[in-house]
Amino acid sequence: MADASSICKSDFCNAGWAEVLTHMSPYGFANFGVAFGLGLSIVGAAWGIWLTGSSLVGAAVKAPRIRSKNLISVIFCEATAIYGVIMAIILTNKIKEPELADSYLSANWDFNGFYYAGYGMFSAGLSVGLTNIASGVSVGIAGSSCAIADAQDASLFVKILIVEIFASALGIFGIIVGIIQSNACTFPVAAL
Amino acid sequence: MDNPSAFDTCPTIAPFLGYAGVALSIILANTGAAMGTARAGVGIMQSGIKSPDLVWRNLIPIVMAGVNGIYGLITSIVVLGSIAMPSMGGNNRYSLYTGCAHLAAGLCCGLSGLGSGACIGIAGDAAIMACGSYDVESKRSIGRRRGDGKKKSGGGEKLFVAMVLVQVFAGNIALYGLIASIILSQQIFYCGGE
Repeated sequence: MADASSICKSDFCNAGWAEVLTHMSPYGFANFGVAFGLGLSIVGAAWGIWLTGSSLVGAAVKAPRIRSKNLISVIFCEATAIYGVIMAIILTNKIKEPELADSYLSANWDFNGFYYAGYGMFSAGLSVGLTNIASGVSVGIAGSSCAIADAQDASLFVKILIVEIFASALGIFGIIVGIIQSNACTFPVAAL
Repeated sequence: MDNPSAFDTCPTIAPFLGYAGVALSIILANTGAAMGTARAGVGIMQSGIKSPDLVWRNLIPIVMAGVNGIYGLITSIVVLGSIAMPSMGGNNRYSLYTGCAHLAAGLCCGLSGLGSGACIGIAGDAAIMACGSYDVESKRSIGRRRGDGKKKSGGGEKLFVAMVLVQVFAGNIALYGLIASIILSQQIFYCGGE
């Protein structure tokens, strides 16, 4: 496998990916999952809102009647952010510290269980966050098209709203996968 | 936990690969679906302004792009059901073999959904605007040749059929990725039996 001449001499080297991934705390993985889940969802929602909002107010200069109806596009983008908040709340409630208060855990703890939970929460957060970026941008572009089309012809609003509904369904797929992933992830609180 | 070896049959990091497969599948497939939906939606707006009655038919690229997102969801859920928790004694049951297979399954479905979704969007955008402008052109020429008596040829219909064919071929490639990922997700080995 690895002979002495190829192993890095410093104390801070890792022997491979297995060491890298198991030298980072599972609580770190879990909390980064929470952070990415919430933060990236908000980035996606924000992206969608500025795309829709700027087209909305621009088109409303010549067609003021579209103002109130097209706010529904902004609400679709906001829903993307709500999915991120839901995921963050679910994950945060699952991050539990061990019941004993020692400075280190003895050998009879379920270390594999810690890492299983940590990796699962990281993946759940990334699934929700990055899917919501895609969904938010897509809803934003569709909402912008909706506002411009509505300004031209009022009968087009409902037809292009269907495009927005399909786009926001992508965010729902993301949170479904995130919730199922987080179901199985529980941190061990007591020794084996 | 000192010196964890990556060459154990069921190392600690194996669930990382499995969960990475789940996440990549849903993320990449939905990114492709979002690209397709957004691009085709702008085309619908542009052609719908001049030809409002064609909008319902032009929703086909949107539906095809949404189906790509569903493929990603299917793969994620299938793989997620097979990621085994560590057993009661603290030993990992999920093998590196299964973890790598699930990572590959996620990448297969995700990347093919990404490509397919982008393709559906670009091709759908062009096709929708072509159908819309054909409709406008034929209406304009009907106006000029009033009293011609000749039946209008079904040129618009043929263009629509071509659009549907292109969309079907574009959606097929994501289906290939789904098939490969379903086959990959069946490659399961658990330490300590089932």
